[in-house]
Parts: sequence; C-alpha cells; structure tokens
Amino acid sequence: MTKPNYAVQCQEIKKNYGVGENQVQALRGVNLNIIEGELIILAGPSGCGKTTLISIIAGILDQTAGDCIVYNENASYMTEHDRLVFRSHNIGFVFQQFNLLPTLSASENVAIPLIINGVSLNEAFERSSVLLKKMGLEGKQHSLPKQLSGGQQQRVAIARAIIHDPKLIVCDEPTSSLDGETGRKVMETMKSLAATNSRTIIVVTHDARIFGFADRIAQMEDGRILNVMSSQEAKPHEF
Amino acid sequence: MILVKFYVRLLYEVELKRKIFVYYIAFKMLVGDRGRYIGIIIGISFAALIMTQQPSIFLGILTRTYSFITDISLPDIWVMDPKVQYIDDSNPLPDTQLYRVAGVDGVEWAKPLYKGTIQARLPNGAFQTCNLIGIDDATLIGGPAEMVEGKVENLRRNDSVIVNLEGAQTKLAGTPKYPGGPSNPLKIGDILELNDHYAINVGIAITTRTFQSQPILFTTYSRAMQFVPPQRNILTFILVKAKPGVNHQDLTKRIHERTKLMAYTRGEFINRTVNYYLKNTALPINFGASVLLGFLVGAVIAGQTFHNFTMENLRYFGVLKAMGASQKALVSMILSQAALVGGIGYGLGLGATALFAWAINDSVLAFRFTWELFLFSIFGVMIICAFAAFLSIRKVFKLEAAVVFQS
Repeated sequence: MTKPNYAVQCQEIKKNYGVGENQVQALRGVNLNIIEGELIILAGPSGCGKTTLISIIAGILDQTAGDCIVYNENASYMTEHDRLVFRSHNIGFVFQQFNLLPTLSASENVAIPLIINGVSLNEAFERSSVLLKKMGLEGKQHSLPKQLSGGQQQRVAIARAIIHDPKLIVCDEPTSSLDGETGRKVMETMKSLAATNSRTIIVVTHDARIFGFADRIAQMEDGRILNVMSSQEAKPHEF
Repeated sequence: MILVKFYVRLLYEVELKRKIFVYYIAFKMLVGDRGRYIGIIIGISFAALIMTQQPSIFLGILTRTYSFITDISLPDIWVMDPKVQYIDDSNPLPDTQLYRVAGVDGVEWAKPLYKGTIQARLPNGAFQTCNLIGIDDATLIGGPAEMVEGKVENLRRNDSVIVNLEGAQTKLAGTPKYPGGPSNPLKIGDILELNDHYAINVGIAITTRTFQSQPILFTTYSRAMQFVPPQRNILTFILVKAKPGVNHQDLTKRIHERTKLMAYTRGEFINRTVNYYLKNTALPINFGASVLLGFLVGAVIAGQTFHNFTMENLRYFGVLKAMGASQKALVSMILSQAALVGGIGYGLGLGATALFAWAINDSVLAFRFTWELFLFSIFGVMIICAFAAFLSIRKVFKLEAAVVFQS
C-alpha cells in the first residue's frame, strides 16, 4: 500500500493566548493529516479552535508548540519574508465576510494575489477577467463589491483565492453569509476546484448543509479533534 | 551578460509595476472613503492655511518696521547715538557729529537726517500725528524715491513739504464735500499747519507703509528745525556713503572708534530694528500662538481622522498581509496616502492663503510670503502627515494577519 501525499501534517499543535491566569488554551494538541486534493471540513462549536487551527495551517499565526508541515515546509523554521513568499504562492483565502476591498472593482480585487507575486498589471487584469467569466461573472469585472449580491461577492472572493493557482485554499465559514441555494452553488464550485489540479481545500463551518460536499469532516471540540469521519458517516445534529 | 541585464530589467519592471499597484490600491482605499478623505484634507488645509497666512502677516508687519530704512537706498551706513535701538527710536546728536563722521577715513559723504513726529493741524481743525523727515537741504538725500505728483526738488520752495500718498488719501484727507461723499485727498498746494507753522504741500510721494501707518511728511533738514519745538539737538541719523572699494564693516568700526557713535550697515540696522520688535513687543507670541494652534488643531484633526481611516481599513490591510503583502508594502501604502492628503491639503491651504493675499492686496493689512515661509509651512505639514502616518503605521505593524478570520 502506497503512503498518501499529505498536503498538511499537524502534529501535537498547541496554541495558547494570553499569559498567567488569563491564559487560554485554544488548541490542546491537535493531530491532523490532510491528503493532497482533499476537501476537508473542520466543524465544531464556536470557540473550539477551528479558526486558530486554519490560521496556523495558513502560516498567519504561530503555534505555541507542535509542528505544522504544509507541502513539506514547516513555517516555524521560515523567516518572515519566506513565510510571506510561501503564502503568496501556495495559499488562497476565502473569508466569511468576503473581505473584498470595497473601493476596488471585482477584477482589481481578483488581481491582487497575482500582483503581489510580481505578475504584470496587464496580465493580472487579463487573467482576472477570464477567471471571473469562468465563475459566471461576465460583465461584472468593473463592478464594486457593493454592487454585487452576496453570492457574486463570494464568487469574486473564490476567484481571488484561486487566481494564483495555490495548492491549498483555506475557507472560513464561506457559506454562512449566503442563502441555502447560493451556499450550495459556492460549495459546488469549491468541490470542482478541489477536483482540478489536486488542490487541497480546508473549510471551517457550522453549516451542516454543506457537509455532503466534503471528503472528510474533522469534528473539533475544546481545542482538540474528536473525530475524523467521511461525509457519509457524519450526523449533522451531533455538531 | 545581456541575459543578466535583461533579467535585472525584468525584475525592476516587475517591482515597479507592483509598487504602482500598491500605490493604486492605497489611492483607491483613500478616495473611496470620501467622508474621511475630505476630513483629513480639511484638517491639513486648515493647518497649512494658518501656518502660511499668519506668519505672512507677521512677516509683513515686521517688514513694515524697517521699511523706512529700505526706502532710503543711497546710504551704505546709518550712524546714530549708541542708545538708539530701532528706526523709530530717537536720541538726537549735536550737529557737530556730522562733520566728525564726514572726516572719517573712507567716508565719501555724510548727510543729516531728522526723523521724528509732529502734530499737523488739518483744514477742518482736527490734529493728526505725522512722521516728519528732514533731509539734507543741498542734496535732498534721504528724500522719497518715487513721486506720484510734483518733484523732490520742490522742497527747495519756502515752507514746502511732500506728503506720502497713503497719508494724503486717508489721514490727511479733508472732510468730504457732502456727508457720505468721497474723501477729499490732500492735494498739491494744500496748506497744513505744523506746530503753528505754515506748510504747503508741494508733492505726493510713494513710500512703503510703516509699522505705525502715520502720514509721512518730507521736508528739508533746516526747515524741520523750524517746524519741531525748540530743542538742543535734532540730528537723528547721519547717512553715510562709503568710498568705492571700502569695506562697509570696517568703516562702521572706524566710525565708532573715531566718534563713539554707533554705525550700522543697512542690513545690520534692519536686523537691530527687527530684533527690537521681536524682543520688546508681543508680536511673536501672538502670531506664534496662532501658528501653534493651527498646527495642533490641524495635527489633531488630520491625525485622528487618518487613524480612524486606518482602523476602518485594518481588516483589508490584514487581508493583503495574509495574501503575502510585505510590511514594507503596507507602510508604503500608508505613507503614500499620507503624502497624497498632505500634498492636496497643503495645496488647498496655500491656495487659500494666496486668495487671502489677493483679497487684501489694496488694503492696510500687512502680508509677506517668502520662500523660507514656504519651506517652513511644507515642513509643518510634513510633520502633521508624518504624525498621522506614524499612528497608522504603528497599528499596521502590530497587526496580526489572523485578524482576517475574525468576523
């Protein structure tokens, strides 16, 4: 039996916030391996450490203890500059509130990761326009975020997350601001993204309606992973 | 080698374009938040206006304190009693001092000048305090440089005086011919009564406005002696021209050594006059307080609004940071935003000051804008912008990219 290619390997990850009596243990030794090309959902009650875990995996937060290896790179041993470069090339972000820059057009928002990676302006805008068309947003390239519906904004955010072809996409509650139908469409897009180019997608959510889109679901509680199961095994009322 | 050059060029262009986009994002973030954008610019414009307009008035007033010195351009050196502190100060010398000064080696000529005040009685019976200037009878050195009507030589006529234009049109003007009618300026041929002496106006001269803004009457030195109340000495200043090639500084020292009088070059006397007003009047404190207040109010408005703007956009700075934008890029964004509002704010403030200067051009208000003031006000606005940017940069430096996941 061949060993799977791991996109993410978390070993005994601990994260404390604050010091002394005010110290809070957000993660209490998380072990989680995520296979390349997998769409995994992190689910659990508020405050269980889901967001802290994806922040550490994405390299935007340092763990207190343990190792987090993402595509064979351990961010703990990287300089700040190397970490920025690693993030800008390998990781895409989708946020609950979309976090589109309100004064930039859809096309400009999508082009940001390319520009950060040194792609020329013309090429960046060309590629962002093509991608927006693919995402069903033809004619919306020059619209400001406020001129788009919630679903359209999230699609722009997804386009921004994938335009630079990252290996890993982290999504924080991507459907919580959307209605059921739009949320389902967004997850279908995510699922197809995971299927192409073996992209790994980690989704943090409370939304049990989207569990069916995941390859696996990791159930978290009180800073630990209680259980990792397939979407067929998951019982939404238990989350 | 060509490949290396091509690669360096490519890197340079990529980096340049990336920077341009960073500034573009910064620009759009700033102008997109129209309320705050305008608020910051108003704060900086206000500060720039106060920091240019108030010192300009201050400089204008200071210039007036020594305008009489600059109006008399012929002499190189002014000689006076050692106790004289500024141009309007008077401690008359005996006339014999004139000949002692004239005898100093290196002096081309030395001429007397009387400068004092006198009460003029107007045709309507009112009294007006005037500056009386008595100039050398023979050469008329010290007389007005520019005449509107008449000639300086007219002073050789009996009982003659020359009046400055502003005085003739305002304080020495006669009663209007009918109530509410136009003023009745003093004209050539009109009579004034100076200390019970008859005087006839023989010319209208242009002079630079003085600090006290009193009318100026020019006459000859000997006639001035008749007009002013009897006193032992009336020689206020001795105007000296140095021989060609003589160092003015050396000559002032020689005059002092030989006569024990104080001798100053024109520049030195101007500085002495300015220093007197700076040390002995409340002018610097009053104007300094206005400038400081304008600076502080501008800094607080701009700093606070800019800080609020950054706080509002902190999430987006976090998004950029999470996506791989460096600290340096984010700082560049904030600095470019500060520079933009600073530039626009300064331009508007300076424009408002220019508008003010244009509006008061023909009024009695003093105003003088110099390149030093231009640099000073730019420096002030830069400090305000740096302060505002500093507050914001501190926040962005401390910003954890993980803030992007906070709902």
